Amino acid sequence: MRILAIETSCDETGVAVIDDGRRIVSNVVASQLVHQDTGGIVPEVAAREHLHALDGITQQALNDAGVELRAVDAVAATVGPGLVGCLLVGANYGRGLALAAGLPFIGVNHLEGHVYANWLYEGDTPTPEPEIPAVVLIVSGAHSDLVLMEGHRRFRPLGRTIDDAAGEAFDQVARLLGLGFPGGPAVERAAKDGDGAAFPLPRAALSGYDFSFSGLKTAVLRLVRSLEAKGEVPIADVAASFQKAITEVLAEKTARAAAEHSVETVLLGGGVAANLALRAEIQKRIGHPLRVPSPRLCTDNGAMIGAAAFFVLRDRGTEVPVNVRSDMKLA
Amino acid sequence: MTLLALDTSTEWASVALYDGHDVLAEETWHAQRRHADELFPTIERLLARTRVTLASIDKVAVATGPGSFTGLRIAIAAAQGIARGAGAALVGVSTLDVLAYPHAASKQRTCPLLPAGRGEFYAAFYQERNRRWERRSPFIAATLPELCRQIGAHTLFVGEIGAETEQTLRDILGPKALFASPASRMRRAGYLAELGWNALETSPQRRLGDIEPIYVKQPSIRTSFDQPFAPPPTDDLALGLPKRH
Ligand SMILES: [Zn+2]
Repeated sequence: MRILAIETSCDETGVAVIDDGRRIVSNVVASQLVHQDTGGIVPEVAAREHLHALDGITQQALNDAGVELRAVDAVAATVGPGLVGCLLVGANYGRGLALAAGLPFIGVNHLEGHVYANWLYEGDTPTPEPEIPAVVLIVSGAHSDLVLMEGHRRFRPLGRTIDDAAGEAFDQVARLLGLGFPGGPAVERAAKDGDGAAFPLPRAALSGYDFSFSGLKTAVLRLVRSLEAKGEVPIADVAASFQKAITEVLAEKTARAAAEHSVETVLLGGGVAANLALRAEIQKRIGHPLRVPSPRLCTDNGAMIGAAAFFVLRDRGTEVPVNVRSDMKLA
Repeated sequence: MTLLALDTSTEWASVALYDGHDVLAEETWHAQRRHADELFPTIERLLARTRVTLASIDKVAVATGPGSFTGLRIAIAAAQGIARGAGAALVGVSTLDVLAYPHAASKQRTCPLLPAGRGEFYAAFYQERNRRWERRSPFIAATLPELCRQIGAHTLFVGEIGAETEQTLRDILGPKALFASPASRMRRAGYLAELGWNALETSPQRRLGDIEPIYVKQPSIRTSFDQPFAPPPTDDLALGLPKRH
């Protein structure tokens, strides 16, 4: 089954062609650069950019795949969660495409997309499928969710952030240190030459699997202000100390969840999962190989939506969603 | 050969099918904020009712505003997708042009109004001159007093004009303010279909991605530092739609 899949939930316009939920035939992602000027995503600006770019990117994805729309079996698009104005562009374009081409339309939960990014491979040799059950950590600018995947499309939420998403904390610290947007890669780059033990920062000790990052954010703000008062801010050390604090909390809870549920497989997804320090922290604690999509597939893309859409069709127990719901959850 | 016309510019939405001679079917409804859920079921219902197949759709016309930013994008994204999937030609027509068009025969100076939020209205002025009915102004976003300062002659108002708006216009303009009857001042996709069909006859096809909303107003710079994912739209403003009273 060949699926054309569209992702427009936030600030990446992505379209991909995916075979059988796993093989990437083509995968085009256009990141919106306009948000660098505002240091954050303006939803209306993001929606305008999606509409401007989507048809051209769809053409490019089909061209790259060397297929015509006629050779596709279904059209999928993200229908939530995300910025409603952005979701509506991809979902309505995809639905129109499907209707006119006589194809089924599959609405996809963006979070399921991040999970199923772990099923994707490039080239002709399939990688082994991840074993289920699995503990999945989805960390991005919008989400910090820890879930137990009990079967295909069967998720039990274990914990989530009670305030900021992990990626937001990265963005805010990057802004504070003048490192640019998006903050994840910027902080990681700056932290490379820094000492993670330079400054002690709080690890919010919430019981259970929920996360909280606002205290850490405030602590970094206070630290930077007091360093500024004394003279120059050692940016690399602050970035490294922050990165160590946040990745330790994420890794700690993820590893604990895997142990408590006697689960061998740990899967990562979302832009923050591209962070190498996070991967190393988790790896250290679980004692067996960690499964992580390539950085390109961690951030938002159409390929992961195509993977998730395949499993929606294959394991259809319920109706296939078609309507946009910006507050969709993983369940 | 059939044209599909889509309009979700405001809280009112409209869909029509047109064959170049007759409007085959048309549905106009108060969608409020449900356009996204209701647009495709409506298209499918009209196709089934008229037994028009998607394969015979070779033209798509879409209303491009000005109007609700999010609303406009729903129909434009859908129209781009349908045109791409069906291999059909796509044309964009201003929502205000659609509103003014049925009143061309009246020879009145005509001003369509659509709510733009925060007490403002989208508007433009249309008039016949040298036997040509044309838009004689740029697209405007203005409050009613600002708009009325540009009005010296009798003007026929059409579009979404609530009782309060009508009263304000009468208070400012007196007898110069004329109002089309409720049914004739509504926006209907049948007219969009006519205008779109004619435009495709005379002007060359543009790239699908070039059909974009007429925004008029800049996006609000309300950034989302602390809330990158907006909550589901609980109020009209979240959808970019004007507040209803
Ligand atoms: Zn994401």
